[in-house]
Amino acid sequence: MDKPKKRPKGSSGISRRHFLRSVGVSGGMLGPSVLGAAALVGGTTGKSPNDAPTLGPGAVPVKLNINGKEFRVEVEPRVTLLDAMRERMGLTGAKRVCDRGECGACTVLVEGRPVYACMMLAVDAQGKKIATIEGLASGLKLDPLQTAFIKHDALQCGFCTPGFLMALKGLLLKNPHPSREEVRLAISGNVCRCGTYPKIFAAVSEVSKA
Amino acid sequence: MSKKIKAKVGLPDDPKIVELEIADRELPVWDLDYKPSLVGKDIPRMDGQDKVLGRAKYTYDVGPQDLPGLLYGKILRSVYPHARVESIDASKALALPGVKAVITLDKGEGFNAEQLLSVMSEDPNRPPAGRTVLFQGEEIAAVAAESEEIAEDALKLFEVKYRRLPFVVDHEEAMRPSAPRVHKGETTNLAGGKPEVKEQGNVAQAFKDPDLVIYEGTFRTPVVLHNCLETHGCVAKWEGDKLKVWASTQGVFGFRDDLAKIFNIPAHNVQVMTEHMGGGFGSKFGAMQYGPLAVALAKKSGRPVKLMYDRHEENLASGNRPSATMHIKIAAKKDGTLHAIDFQSYGTAGVGTGAGTSGPIWMTYKCPNVRTEEGDVFTNAGFGMPFRAPGFPQGSFALDQAMDELAGMLNLDPLDFRRKNFVGQPYLPLEIMYKLGAEKIGWNQRNARAGAGTGLVKRGIGMATGVWGNYGEPPAQAMVRIHPDGTIEAVIGTQDIGTGTRTIVGVIAAEELGVPLETVKVNIGDTTSGLTSPASGGSMTLTSIGPAVRQAAFDAKQKLFKLAAPALKTQPEELESRDGKIFVKSNPARSLPWARVAAKMGTTPIAGHGEREQNLKGYDQPAWAVQFVDVSVDTETGLVKVNKVVSVAESGRVIDRLTFESQVNGGTIMGLSYGLLERRTMDRLEGRVMNPNLEDYKILGPQEMPEIEAVIIDDVTPYNSLGSKGLGEPPVVPTAAALANAVANALGVRLFELPLTPDHVLDALTAQKEG
Repeated sequence: MDKPKKRPKGSSGISRRHFLRSVGVSGGMLGPSVLGAAALVGGTTGKSPNDAPTLGPGAVPVKLNINGKEFRVEVEPRVTLLDAMRERMGLTGAKRVCDRGECGACTVLVEGRPVYACMMLAVDAQGKKIATIEGLASGLKLDPLQTAFIKHDALQCGFCTPGFLMALKGLLLKNPHPSREEVRLAISGNVCRCGTYPKIFAAVSEVSKA
Repeated sequence: MSKKIKAKVGLPDDPKIVELEIADRELPVWDLDYKPSLVGKDIPRMDGQDKVLGRAKYTYDVGPQDLPGLLYGKILRSVYPHARVESIDASKALALPGVKAVITLDKGEGFNAEQLLSVMSEDPNRPPAGRTVLFQGEEIAAVAAESEEIAEDALKLFEVKYRRLPFVVDHEEAMRPSAPRVHKGETTNLAGGKPEVKEQGNVAQAFKDPDLVIYEGTFRTPVVLHNCLETHGCVAKWEGDKLKVWASTQGVFGFRDDLAKIFNIPAHNVQVMTEHMGGGFGSKFGAMQYGPLAVALAKKSGRPVKLMYDRHEENLASGNRPSATMHIKIAAKKDGTLHAIDFQSYGTAGVGTGAGTSGPIWMTYKCPNVRTEEGDVFTNAGFGMPFRAPGFPQGSFALDQAMDELAGMLNLDPLDFRRKNFVGQPYLPLEIMYKLGAEKIGWNQRNARAGAGTGLVKRGIGMATGVWGNYGEPPAQAMVRIHPDGTIEAVIGTQDIGTGTRTIVGVIAAEELGVPLETVKVNIGDTTSGLTSPASGGSMTLTSIGPAVRQAAFDAKQKLFKLAAPALKTQPEELESRDGKIFVKSNPARSLPWARVAAKMGTTPIAGHGEREQNLKGYDQPAWAVQFVDVSVDTETGLVKVNKVVSVAESGRVIDRLTFESQVNGGTIMGLSYGLLERRTMDRLEGRVMNPNLEDYKILGPQEMPEIEAVIIDDVTPYNSLGSKGLGEPPVVPTAAALANAVANALGVRLFELPLTPDHVLDALTAQKEG
């Protein structure tokens, strides 16, 4: 596979012209080439979309870098990063709640940025550094966010907790002393049904003051 | 058989000394004079570490690494709201590589768990008997396959022939005589054919009184959905004739007993486990549909099966809070005392029942003449399930808005009006709760005349009174073991649904034993323990299991004292335990460390048993939740912005202040979400749910979060030996009403329908301008 070119900021990786061209080429149906890893990851390569490798439909080997460890699994290309982690790699920290990018419970960090793991195919997560809740603590030493969450009771049933922690970790990596509004925006993609928000704000406030 | 004790109970600023007669084995209540070493403090959750590490294992997390050969189960659901399923052809699904079992439900009406037994030995290609489905999303068939993807592909290969039938999805339409019948053979869609009527005094007569101020209004609340983050589901594994189930459930024993009955096996051959659970809120009682289907698929395939709902089906077929159309007519004498309330409420719990809302009418305020009439209206929609204080947020929305209207007509401050109508109780915390709440919200800054503010954004303040019974009771059992190394194990059957049950069990055991919390381990959520305890619901978990834990700890402690007494050259009755030391009461310097005494027991742990005793007669008092809300309403966009909520909670003795406050926050936030955002929307033409997902079904998120100030009243009730009441539900009761009262105060016009979305606000403002 070609080394992926850097995506322009804010783009989805497929230009509209590219998309429409490939739809036309394959007769109105989205061919596997459009969904091929190279097309999504690398943006426009300048080549015809039909040059992109075809993956699947059966299981394909996937190599993932998660929390500094390399995992090898075989999954169909349609399997999300989230499902690959949860059902094939025993990494059940990230949770599946809506499976359509609406609730944040599956939030992981990809190259340090918060991403919904249910909105990324496992094949597309290759070649990237992925961080999950399982890697947030260093062995027995908790991340200050984790300690603050316990102290302030920023969790109840705990199902949303890994998602919130990773979203907040992503924020603090970029912005160690965020304002309340910046915190609010950073976690606006995370939902909690038990009502832990006030305590989450309290926990982050303590960590970000330090 | 009983003994008499004296106790100081009630409010800390207004205590009452009472003489109580309690059961012989019962422990004297932790009254206002009791100085706890641990109870009542800010104690971090015992499972907090597991949860922040991502180590806490939920049912959803059980996978192939735990159960080799695990299959994934998926359910095929009806696309139509009412239809005869004439045939189900599963042959193509069965033929798909990787599919290991198929079950088709093709007999009867509605989901029939019992028929699963008969299905297991039959050929799925047999001529179908024909079945009627009653709502979009009802179960038709199920499949188990090697992967979730294959199971999903298999669902698409079923060929189902439907014959569509007339349907109705709106409860007001369903009440018309011409409406299609939901259940076969019924002459009406009203459950039981008639409403449930309760009356106190004589309401018809009372309204004839000439000296009354009367208000009458109709209020509407929609169906709303629990949307627990962890969906319904379970993992089922047969081991010979024994069954092992990991379930996302609020009641492991109820789940077990349902399965035992359906599959005709002894209950002790079924083990149900819930170690961690991603929310229930009332929607997860009993084995429901996912339990029997997973177990049947496991039996048919001979392999363990994991069946978890996806978010779409979770929003169709896992429960809801029923809707309500409530008509209230309320009268007070000119001096402000309530005289009569006439309340009629009809709503739909879909194909099920549970739409009653009269609770608050009976419990909140004192009124000599009350009549309530409530009815369940069947519709072709998903069944209702209990949802955090069932019926109460709805009834409160109507009642407390009507109270505010009446206060206005009487020219009384809304708080003063409520003060004139306090219910009778041995001690009532409402006065102090009103005082504190009013102070902290700035009640004196409230618009004296509703809608008085100028400008496009109008500000308002409103309040409401919430109430919920204290439902803890026997039976509940607990065991506390002291191990030879001095560590303690507290065992109960009940699960922790996120409220912190695990932690408060540990705290109560540690408090009674006089040891640091770190030495206590808590085992919960496994039916193998055989220790009966209630499901986690009704706000009765702490108050049912807590006293049993306390008694078990006391029992174990007495046995340990027998070991310690000779070494301390005294009698066991002379001993006490605190801070990990056992000492002579009259001479605390004479002491032994806990672990040293424990070491004397040899290899056999000491086991203490505890049972929940009866509640104390005469002290059955509900728990109260009073909320004050400050809003700003944009009169151009209709957006309601909540600035602050003061949430005052009274639930007896606080066991863990951290988790207590979390429940207050949790209930308040759920109440705000109910008031501002939530509505299950049905497409009347197709009979389908239009928003079965989290992008169109709105749940309150960080962007909508106002400032919430939780205020805790530290009172004590003698009703049980902890001095506590339940807390899970009271804080969700008054929020929507307080919110609506605040909006009415801001705008000078009232909103009668939830949620208080911009369209409703703008409609009300338009009507106000034109009217």
